[in-house]
Amino acid sequence: MAGVSGIPVSTVAASSLFDEMFLPDGGVRTHYASYADWLATQSPESMAHKRAEADLLFRRIGITFSVAGDEGGTERLIPSDLLPRIIDAAEWDAMERGLIQRVRALNRFLHDVYHDHEILRAGVIPADQVLGNPQYMQGMQGLDLPHQTYAHVVGVDIVRHSDGRFYVLEDNLRVPSGVSYMLSNRKMMMRLFPDLFRRVAVRPVEHYPALLLQTLRSSSPVDQPSVVVLTPGRYNAAYFEHAFLAKQMGVELVEGQDLFVREGGVYMRTTGGPQRVDVIYRRLDDVFLDPLAFRADSVIGVPGLAAAYHRGEVVIANALGTGVADDKSIYPYVPDMIRFYLGESPILENVPTWQCRRSEDLGYVLANLKDLVVKEVHGAGGYGMLVGPAATAAEIGSFARILKANPANYIAQPTLALSACPTFVDQGTAPRHIDLRPFVLVGRDIRIVPGGLTRVALREGSLVVNSSQGGGTKDTWVLEAGAV
Amino acid sequence: MMLARVASELYWMSRYLERAESMARILDVCSSIALLSSRSGDPPDMLVSEPLVITDTEKAFAATGRDLRMDQVAQFLAWDTQHPSSIGNCIAACRENARSVRGAITAEMWECINDTWLLLQQRRQGGAKAEPPIDSAFFDWVKERSHLFRGVSFATLQRGQPYLFIRLGTFIERADNTARILSVKTREREDSDLVADYYRLGAVLRSVSSMEAYRDIYRDAIEADRVAELLIFSDQVPRSLRFCVDEICQILERLPAGSGRRARRLAMQLQARLNYGDLKEVYERGLYVYLDRFIEYNNEMGAAISEGYLELRN
Repeated sequence: MAGVSGIPVSTVAASSLFDEMFLPDGGVRTHYASYADWLATQSPESMAHKRAEADLLFRRIGITFSVAGDEGGTERLIPSDLLPRIIDAAEWDAMERGLIQRVRALNRFLHDVYHDHEILRAGVIPADQVLGNPQYMQGMQGLDLPHQTYAHVVGVDIVRHSDGRFYVLEDNLRVPSGVSYMLSNRKMMMRLFPDLFRRVAVRPVEHYPALLLQTLRSSSPVDQPSVVVLTPGRYNAAYFEHAFLAKQMGVELVEGQDLFVREGGVYMRTTGGPQRVDVIYRRLDDVFLDPLAFRADSVIGVPGLAAAYHRGEVVIANALGTGVADDKSIYPYVPDMIRFYLGESPILENVPTWQCRRSEDLGYVLANLKDLVVKEVHGAGGYGMLVGPAATAAEIGSFARILKANPANYIAQPTLALSACPTFVDQGTAPRHIDLRPFVLVGRDIRIVPGGLTRVALREGSLVVNSSQGGGTKDTWVLEAGAV
Repeated sequence: MMLARVASELYWMSRYLERAESMARILDVCSSIALLSSRSGDPPDMLVSEPLVITDTEKAFAATGRDLRMDQVAQFLAWDTQHPSSIGNCIAACRENARSVRGAITAEMWECINDTWLLLQQRRQGGAKAEPPIDSAFFDWVKERSHLFRGVSFATLQRGQPYLFIRLGTFIERADNTARILSVKTREREDSDLVADYYRLGAVLRSVSSMEAYRDIYRDAIEADRVAELLIFSDQVPRSLRFCVDEICQILERLPAGSGRRARRLAMQLQARLNYGDLKEVYERGLYVYLDRFIEYNNEMGAAISEGYLELRN
């Protein structure tokens, strides 16, 4: 699972954090009331027993991720916490509207920057920020895609700050992952606590694979299209998810070597001879898709795929070149995109971002390095960044020199205090920081299963929810309207 | 219709497990015979090297520098990570194949083979100081796990192409194994005598789980001719050559005809020879030659199956 890159370390005292379950005076928030009543009737022994049972089930079913670099491709479990993250109906409705709005604008933006460049000509976004962006794919210019859809599956990372409001941290428009954990968590919770789901009206998420299949099918102009999931292979960290989704959708899980291109289309090699493929839900990055068009050393791609794609013989979801819209240098402009394309004011907020390429922003950033998080524009995974509040004076000094040498390469944001949710620990429960990744599906219309994947930083005080660094997940409940 | 790569992984998954089981059967029988002969001192080298001859691994064994002793041979065939067909490697390869096609098999099948692999790791670690013991209990365990996996497959997997490719792998591997055991154990011997023959032939029958069938069918003393007849021509014994080839033919008939034409032709020719052949024909060519030719032919059939269904063609 890709991490939330660059989640800043909080300097805010724990007491001033937003707690998802408890009010500052210690009372329980309304939407957690039923759950809290139920939890009060459970003995610690029974909960410990359930935790052990869950562990066993996850291991047997093999819901694991591979750890890169470990000998023999070690498989690890992602810890799943049994205390759910609950979102009330009204809050979710607003978030859902915000997500739909945001994803519509992002798709409009992608179509625009690969066609008429209206937003650039209007001066809303500097043209060089887009056209000179390494993620901008020249070859996509002028290519018409069915329904003008570029990003079919989007994972939006959202956090709640201590002010109680939600902020979008980043939009993942390439190959967002994690949805299998969302589904597995729900399955596990329903198996362990059936009575709980009778008491609390939780909106279902189990239909996600059916929605995904519908989305993928509707993305093709072909009648009854044949859909496949394209995986880099069994050693990929998210292989479990690729296999899981293919199985749930009832479609073939293919590797690059299973596909080939010949005059007129893309085919898979089967025991009954070549079979036509119309839609590829790809789970590998652009550059690996076709050794003839991109990285020649890619052994997991399909030679000639890009050419077939340009001839309109196959739909690739998500489209090639979507990375230009979720780049950190473009992120600050998403609210402007919403205003420009939709004529609406943004429902979801961006984290305030200073662009060091602007001299006035750079001045502010240099003067306030100790309070800010500074990230590389094209960086990912938390590399090449400065977390001001956690850095020494010397580190800040040397980073300032690097920043001044190449300001255009950096953006800066204030440190966010991620909200916390009670989580089972060795002794009872304790608050741990969380984020949220809803999954947005773009077909004929835009659909979102209620909730998404909640990731939790299991170490006390930690803000790193990344699964490779001690992060876990929680089942995410969106309550039915009127339910408490 | 299924992906050729997936068919290939399933086919090899079951071949590897069958191979692990065969290896356990061969070692079980050879070590018990060696035990019998060793009452009057060390077993002769010929007996000790028998499992290596059967599995065509004499050179590979010599290259490890191990002494030619029964326990060393057993360690090599059961655990050696350098030996691709050791029991440990076969089970790991089977599990690795299963892992990559989890979508094509049932959850129960995956859990069964994954469990087997986890238990095998434990056994290996249990003997961390010295090499873990290779004894009857271990051979029984390997056979049991193989039976369990076959049973789970039989009871849970839908009867589509994945099931057919799994069965195909089992029978190609099993036919090879029976022919090999038979060819070594029925060779002419200098030390041939009645008692030694009895044990040797009894061991052959037991190694392919056919002692009961022999008694049931012949109700007489164990003789080399009958053992050969049973294990080559019987259409009742699940490990005989004919039984395996009959199964292979049935499976091939249910797979898409076009690309498998050559495999089908080879299988049906072999089936005709077994269905209408007899011991007289075998002895005219010599049993050893006959079996050697069968193994070659079986390999050719395996290659034709790979070429027809499993390889990635455009």
